[in-house]
Amino acid sequence: MRFVTVEIMLKATGQIDLMDRRLLEKAQDEFPLTLRPWASIGNELGITEREVMERLSGLFRKGAIRKIGPALDAKRVGLRASTLIAMKVPEDMIQNVANMVSKYQDVSHCYEREHEYNFWFTIAARDENELEKMLQEIRRGANVAKDDMLNLQPTRIFKIDVRFQLT
Amino acid sequence: MEILLALQDGIPLVKEPFSAVATQLGIAPDEVIERLQRLREEKIIRKFGLFVRKSKVGVIANAMVVWAVPSNRVQEVAEFFSRFREVTHCYERRTAPNWRYNVYTVIHGVERKTVNEFVKTLSAAVEVKDYLVLFSVREFVRRSTGRVRPEDSRSAASGALGSGT
Repeated sequence: MRFVTVEIMLKATGQIDLMDRRLLEKAQDEFPLTLRPWASIGNELGITEREVMERLSGLFRKGAIRKIGPALDAKRVGLRASTLIAMKVPEDMIQNVANMVSKYQDVSHCYEREHEYNFWFTIAARDENELEKMLQEIRRGANVAKDDMLNLQPTRIFKIDVRFQLT
Repeated sequence: MEILLALQDGIPLVKEPFSAVATQLGIAPDEVIERLQRLREEKIIRKFGLFVRKSKVGVIANAMVVWAVPSNRVQEVAEFFSRFREVTHCYERRTAPNWRYNVYTVIHGVERKTVNEFVKTLSAAVEVKDYLVLFSVREFVRRSTGRVRPEDSRSAASGALGSGT
């Protein structure tokens, strides 16, 4: 499976060369928290600090990078309640509902998916009360019946690790 | 907190990115770096690094696969799924009336075909046949979870990050 994925990926990413992909891959992992991180990364890849910065800047322009920074543990920065919501939203209403849901800063993922429950999002809040309040607001704002919303609260997290093999 | 607030949306692409943040906050660059290292060790920072925009690097198909796993097998099955790099998220969640799925995996791939094949392989390996593959059609929001809010960085009540200073 791994090798198949990589092979197709190489074809799909024609406009990003091998060094770019090595750079993206490298910077996804243990990022050097040092005074000059680009120099450290360049060292490992055998290119200069300047080339690292130029390549990253190009990748930002192409939209290949979302950000370089931290992902925080939501619970430990005070967001103690979180859940996944699935809703049935009429096709012609989806964009409106998405605009409304996107305004909540603690909505981290929001997708249209192929299913009867076609609208999915994850949302976090300080506590259960705040979460419940936001969900009611969203459900009413989206004009979704109670039975057309699933609240799929997490009971155990086994894995969160979004890193992609790119070379 | 102030540091996280200043750089949670990303560090600047300058020679000394942490010095830029330090100047902004009026503290020494070394202090910014040390604090970040500690936050990463303590896992308050789950990951520090580069986040790719999947669609631009060839990862196109994203499916949430929901599985109905007998409760006494959840641990074993979820741990098995978690071993694969293609599985980026694996959660156990509560069921609902008319919704029996309890194990959730997010699977990324370059095309639907490979994702479907991968899911079939997983299903056969764990002998769980009751599942749904929910492909994404449109992405509306994709941002980091757990954002620090401006009011938290000033409030003493948010002691979680204030300790050990």
